[in-house]
Amino acid sequence: MKSIWKFFESVKLAIILLILLALVSVLGTLIPQGRDAAEYAARYGNLSGLLIKLRLTGLYHSPWYLALLFLIGMNTIVCTLARFGPKWRRAFRPSPEVDDKSLQAMRIKNRARIHGPLPAAAEKAREALASRRYRVKTSGEGRRLAILAQKRRLGWFGSDTVHVGLLIILAGGVISGVTSRRGALELRVGQTVDVPHAMFRVRLDRFETEYYPQGAVKAWKSTVTVVENDAPVLTRVIEVNHPLTYKRFSFYQTSYGWDWENPRLEIVVKKPSDPAYLKSLFPKVGERLAIEDPDFTHLAVSRFVPDFVIGEGNEVQTRSLSPDNPAALVEVWKGEERVYSGWTFARYPDFGEGHKVGQASLSFVLKSYEAPQYSVLEAAKDPGATFIWLGCIFVTTGFFLAFYWPPREIRVVLEEVQGRSEAVLGGFASKNREAFEAEFELLVESLRRTT
Amino acid sequence: MTEATLFTITFFLYILSALVYLVSIFSRKDKWAGVGFVLAAAGLVLHTGALILRTVVSRHAPFTNMYESLSFLAWATVLALIVLDRKFRIPRIAPYAMLIAVGLVALASSPLMPKEATPLVPALQSYWLWLHVSVTLLGEAFFAVAFIASLLYLRSDTEEKKLKMDSVSYRAVAVGFPLFTLGGLVFGMVWAYKAWGTYWSWDPKEVWSLITWFVFALYLHTRIVMGWKGKRSALIAIIGFLAALFTYFGVNYLLSGLHSYA
Repeated sequence: MKSIWKFFESVKLAIILLILLALVSVLGTLIPQGRDAAEYAARYGNLSGLLIKLRLTGLYHSPWYLALLFLIGMNTIVCTLARFGPKWRRAFRPSPEVDDKSLQAMRIKNRARIHGPLPAAAEKAREALASRRYRVKTSGEGRRLAILAQKRRLGWFGSDTVHVGLLIILAGGVISGVTSRRGALELRVGQTVDVPHAMFRVRLDRFETEYYPQGAVKAWKSTVTVVENDAPVLTRVIEVNHPLTYKRFSFYQTSYGWDWENPRLEIVVKKPSDPAYLKSLFPKVGERLAIEDPDFTHLAVSRFVPDFVIGEGNEVQTRSLSPDNPAALVEVWKGEERVYSGWTFARYPDFGEGHKVGQASLSFVLKSYEAPQYSVLEAAKDPGATFIWLGCIFVTTGFFLAFYWPPREIRVVLEEVQGRSEAVLGGFASKNREAFEAEFELLVESLRRTT
Repeated sequence: MTEATLFTITFFLYILSALVYLVSIFSRKDKWAGVGFVLAAAGLVLHTGALILRTVVSRHAPFTNMYESLSFLAWATVLALIVLDRKFRIPRIAPYAMLIAVGLVALASSPLMPKEATPLVPALQSYWLWLHVSVTLLGEAFFAVAFIASLLYLRSDTEEKKLKMDSVSYRAVAVGFPLFTLGGLVFGMVWAYKAWGTYWSWDPKEVWSLITWFVFALYLHTRIVMGWKGKRSALIAIIGFLAALFTYFGVNYLLSGLHSYA
């Protein structure tokens, strides 16, 4: 047990761990993380199996990275505990008594002859120190008095506060890893869905995309109603950076898309031979529309893709769910005979022009295409987050204390010599010694003054 | 006056300041250092004006693309230099800090950097943009001064100069490290949690800021607990600044991740 304690008490261990963590973390940014095996095989060839086995492909969640974090956590706990007791006593249970040797060993020191007998001189010193915001303690009696003055005592605990904050953050990370719940909710307007792990549901009332005048997306806004026991509880607009939080669950706007299964399409049919001819049709995908025309009897859109691309094996696919290259496969029938089948593109209307359909020539234009949009919300519950914020407050406060709240200590030993008081003063400051020396000298000056 | 005009005048003031400071260290005349300081301060004032104008015109924080953030980093570097120079008198560091600022402004002005103020994508529409980016870059600016001081430490010939550079490097880290931690890591986590619902995603930019943090944590522990000073301290500060530089710049161009804005 003792040897384990000794092992973790070492600052050398902290230094080795910091170096290891830095190096290993670099490795994880050079190897792409969390991709599938095929991608690693393509990138690293024979090495990919080894990388996956060593968990270098999910490095930050691997047992050995977590082991490094665990070790540095233990190291921090033990080092902080080991140093805390003596520091606490020095800051809050100090003894004003000091032997001459230690007083002489203080880096900043001086002597002063103070006018008047010992009690008056001690009072003068105490007042001078208190007026400079020192906390003063006196001990001793008779011909020798010892005064200890302290200022900014919390400054002793700057590094401890940072360390405690880091431990709280590590704990928060563990709590998040074990207890956080998250999942994507795909919601069409009007749809109500269960929130996984929660006792309530959410409904999407409205979803809109706002654009800047130049065309870029300004905002995605989902108007969402929380429904509990079949009754609406509250309605809020969720945007990126403006999540909705209800009963420890937060809902984030993460994505959006179109439901291209049932688009509303408008197909315009023209005849180059007859400029007056123009038919606007609104077919549903897969449905035959009856048309009165001498040349044909039915028109159908047998397929629609929002982002047309020819994939492997010459098959028509959609590249994405964004309407970047919308295309409809138009079919024309005369009775039971299919007389035409061809793609028409909203972005390239020329493709749809002048097709031979039986005896006639027809043009097809995909004039409009609309699909209901759905919104993707991330539902998340993360009890660890609270610990992270608490830890951050500790870390920030600790930094302030460590760097900008340096403790100062002044010791004064007063002795009465032939009706006059002789003072020996020693000072200590953990940082910013120049400023402290100036303060110390001013203090000595003020004690020497007779009035 | 337009932002571009102010920016151009700023550029020339920074160049002049760097040159005058260089004259001051080679001629060993203090009055030149004073002139250099005034030029740098005047440049900073105009630069501030340019940043304000840009904010007013674009209606968002002036660090949403590479041009803007380079310009802001240059501004922060000059500010860090002026603050530290007032406090610790560092005429030997000043010319190099000004050269870094000149380099950053030149890089920002290069034709490769798109300069138009574009409207903000939804993820960046947050007041955390102000807090996260400005405080982080300010921290990195202090790391830049620590970097110069450390390099000069390695090149110093007298014990007195070495002591000074070692101390300035530490003081700069003592300002930069808390700022970097607060702006980069703390504010970054808060914003990520608000925007994405998760405070940490092990995205390359996040990991690199953590690596930078580890290096400066190493700097403080070796220095304060183990008493390392001088050469080894200087080397760690140099590595730390390079890590911060890679976090800021390299990650965007060499690694891909969530932070693909600038």
